Amino acid sequence: MTPRVEVLRFITRKLAGALPLLFGVTLISFTLTVHFGPDPAYAMLGKNPTATDLAAVHSELGQDQPFWLRYTHYLRRLATLDLGHTETSGEKVRDLLARTLPVSVLLLAPGFLIGTTLALLLAMVAAWHRGGRIDRLVTGMSVVGMSLSFVIIIIGLQGVFGVWLGWFPVRGWEVTGPVSYLAHVTIPTLAFVLASIGYNTRFFRAMLVNAMNADHVRTAHAYGAGPIGIMCRHVLRGCLLPITTRIVYSVPTLVISGSLLIESHFSIPGIGRATYQAMLSGDQPVIMAIVGLSAVLFVVTATVADLLCRLADPRIRLA
Amino acid sequence: MSFARTACVAIAAVLLVACESPSSDEPRPAVYRHTIDGTPSSLDPAHAANVYSSTLVVNLYDTLFRYRYLSRPYELAPNLAAEMPEVSDDGLVWTIRLRENVKFADDAAFPGGRGREVTANDVVYSIGRHFDPATRSQGAWLWRDRIAGLEDWAEDGADPDQRIDGLYAVDDKTLVIELTEPYPQLPYTLAMALSAVVPREAVEHHGREFGVRPVGSGPFVLERFDESRAVLERNPEFDRGSLDLAEEGHDRQVHGELGLETLDGKPYPFVDRLEIHFIPEPSARWSSFIAGEVDSVMVPPEQAGRVLESRDPIRFRPDIEQRYHSLAAPETGFVLYGFNMANEAVGHHPDQDIDRANRALRCAMREAFDWQERNDTFYHGLGEVFPGVIPPFVEAFDPALGTESTSHDPEQARRRLADHHWTPETLPRLTYGMEASVHQRQMFEQFRARMKTAGIPEQRLRSRAFASFGDFSRAIAGGELDLFLIGWTMAWPDALYALQLFYGPNAAPGANSFNYSNPEFDRLFERAAGLEPGEERTALYRRLNEVVVDDCVYIGSLSRTRLHLWHQHVHMLPDREMLGGYFLRFVGIGAAP
Repeated sequence: MTPRVEVLRFITRKLAGALPLLFGVTLISFTLTVHFGPDPAYAMLGKNPTATDLAAVHSELGQDQPFWLRYTHYLRRLATLDLGHTETSGEKVRDLLARTLPVSVLLLAPGFLIGTTLALLLAMVAAWHRGGRIDRLVTGMSVVGMSLSFVIIIIGLQGVFGVWLGWFPVRGWEVTGPVSYLAHVTIPTLAFVLASIGYNTRFFRAMLVNAMNADHVRTAHAYGAGPIGIMCRHVLRGCLLPITTRIVYSVPTLVISGSLLIESHFSIPGIGRATYQAMLSGDQPVIMAIVGLSAVLFVVTATVADLLCRLADPRIRLA
Repeated sequence: MSFARTACVAIAAVLLVACESPSSDEPRPAVYRHTIDGTPSSLDPAHAANVYSSTLVVNLYDTLFRYRYLSRPYELAPNLAAEMPEVSDDGLVWTIRLRENVKFADDAAFPGGRGREVTANDVVYSIGRHFDPATRSQGAWLWRDRIAGLEDWAEDGADPDQRIDGLYAVDDKTLVIELTEPYPQLPYTLAMALSAVVPREAVEHHGREFGVRPVGSGPFVLERFDESRAVLERNPEFDRGSLDLAEEGHDRQVHGELGLETLDGKPYPFVDRLEIHFIPEPSARWSSFIAGEVDSVMVPPEQAGRVLESRDPIRFRPDIEQRYHSLAAPETGFVLYGFNMANEAVGHHPDQDIDRANRALRCAMREAFDWQERNDTFYHGLGEVFPGVIPPFVEAFDPALGTESTSHDPEQARRRLADHHWTPETLPRLTYGMEASVHQRQMFEQFRARMKTAGIPEQRLRSRAFASFGDFSRAIAGGELDLFLIGWTMAWPDALYALQLFYGPNAAPGANSFNYSNPEFDRLFERAAGLEPGEERTALYRRLNEVVVDDCVYIGSLSRTRLHLWHQHVHMLPDREMLGGYFLRFVGIGAAP
């Protein structure tokens, strides 16, 4: 079987296998939302609702229909991408996602890329000097980064760069071009990098140190290879699987939840904030659309991660 | 780097900046950037029951009446109405003339996309749609059982083409409302954002999306709306003449420092663009104001120490007063703890002896609670504690009412419990409900600690937290909670709005979350409700207030104080109370520093 055919068959198999997964995820989340989620009817009604008013709203929301009918209705809408309207503002859920998702991606992509790259570089330096002062310094800084509250980091950066120095906007998202984009994305990116770099550096370092104990790395040392060559060609390649998996699997979480704290504290109209508000208000169409979307994204991510692992290590079969 | 590469980078940077810079020939629009501490969920007037939605709705739409900008106590003025209503002698027929030449903003819903004249039929439609279940109105209660024939019309299918007996247009500019009983508070309801006038074409054209595509006749039109801000542009069709400061209640002694005189006699609104930023996080709101990104801020309580020199009396620090305009004003609302009177373990009981013992328990808990400590711990000592439920800014407030009901007296509480044979073993186990947050948990712990001083063991109070306000409300309505802290914002400057909290027919899921049931109270309430303002009505309001104080139905009350700061170049009085943002049309922008 040629590699291309193997990959195609793998993707087809993955997508076919995703259907029961999607069914299961949506069924569980729909059940949880219906039975344990907030009842939006009370928040929707005014100060003196009558029992009739409550019944009318429950009926309007379709809550008087049997569970299976509601679930089937939801699946049909999801399959046809007719996600309905939000219960609070009436906006089309599709419009809401189209409006907020790109904002979250633009907001978080730089921090994700810079943070991951920087963590990898620091981990490589620390691993090379393991046990030494540089290693202790990087490890210590990682622990400090992990210990700092994300909120404190955000407030501190806003205070220093926004209020005190006045270099960047404290908050907001008035992006009209590259310059305003850079202005608005810089502090959130810095906050994201500071908050995530500790965890990533510690994880990457542990993987790299483990890989450095391999025989072929010792052989490379014996041949007199330089640190960059050993790290990039032999050590990094040896631990590409866990590193790739960690990086790829963090993408859907980022895309779907955005970063609620960043979006809230910087008043950025992204998907994280929209999701949080939907959860608080019990806006079922929005919650269920996001659940469906995240399930699809995780399936895609799992497929991509497997393919990347196959690329990184040809011994892995796409079974 | 070579010279050529450096030059290329520099040129690219200049081009990038030039791409985003407005032309220097264009006059700079006057922009006011306002902040609020929450996000409105919908801009449909039928859903504008909170201050966040109301702030936008009253600036996008017209209501028949509004509050005068500066007059205190609050005073109504005509808005879309040409003058105040004519009322028949029996108080049942209200005739309201509408202003001429008022147009809805242009929208695709209208033929040719051009907005049309606002008519009395639009007012009829706007009130009627609250009774259509499809609207999911939050305001129907304002007119339920008040306007003749409205319920019958709703039962017949709420067809807008069908006439409502007590709500109709005599001609394009004359509206008649026929009531089933006198309702002196009617004009107040017609100043609420919930009553804003919408065009039927737009509601039908936009369907569910009407909540994000407002079409009104207010001073501004919506340019952008998302989770972080709303941008409003001046409505070119809006013409209400000029600002008459004297008419709006200007007092040189009180308002002289605000720079409002420069706006007198000029047509409003005064700004071309109004940005309303939704910033719930206090630190972000404060930092944004200090950095000059927004023009005003409601100071977060935790920043009070940085801006105040003294808390009693409230005085801002001199450097703050020099740099900004400032205002300290009480909210037009209050917070209080309520008991579930439907629970026989703590509330009403058919057995008179047990009923009396239950009352003693509620009174003892009230005496054990320390409002001053609550004020100092959670409201930075800026709140105003008052007895009863008629807040001090309301005309019927009774300054002579004793303060025993708000005094912390654990000894008296212990005596009272002992007199009625309550012991730690016989005390009921009560469920304290709250929204899930650290803040609410701390309040619960403080409450429980105070109760302990009266001999009520910790085990007798257990907390139950809810993830959302909707769930909390559902639990209250379902009688699942025995004790809960609620906030009540006055939408009218009339004590009846607060006293309805105890009116029997309003029992849960209505506003009477306490399920208080007292035929005598209900009788007096109904009598007061139909009375015109005057001594008799004030006396009745005070009597009703005393009844609920005596019955120990609640533990309260406290009105929080709001601190506002705004930059010197902004000329305004930022009073958002009475559920609204009417002041925004009168905001003027001077030369920025």
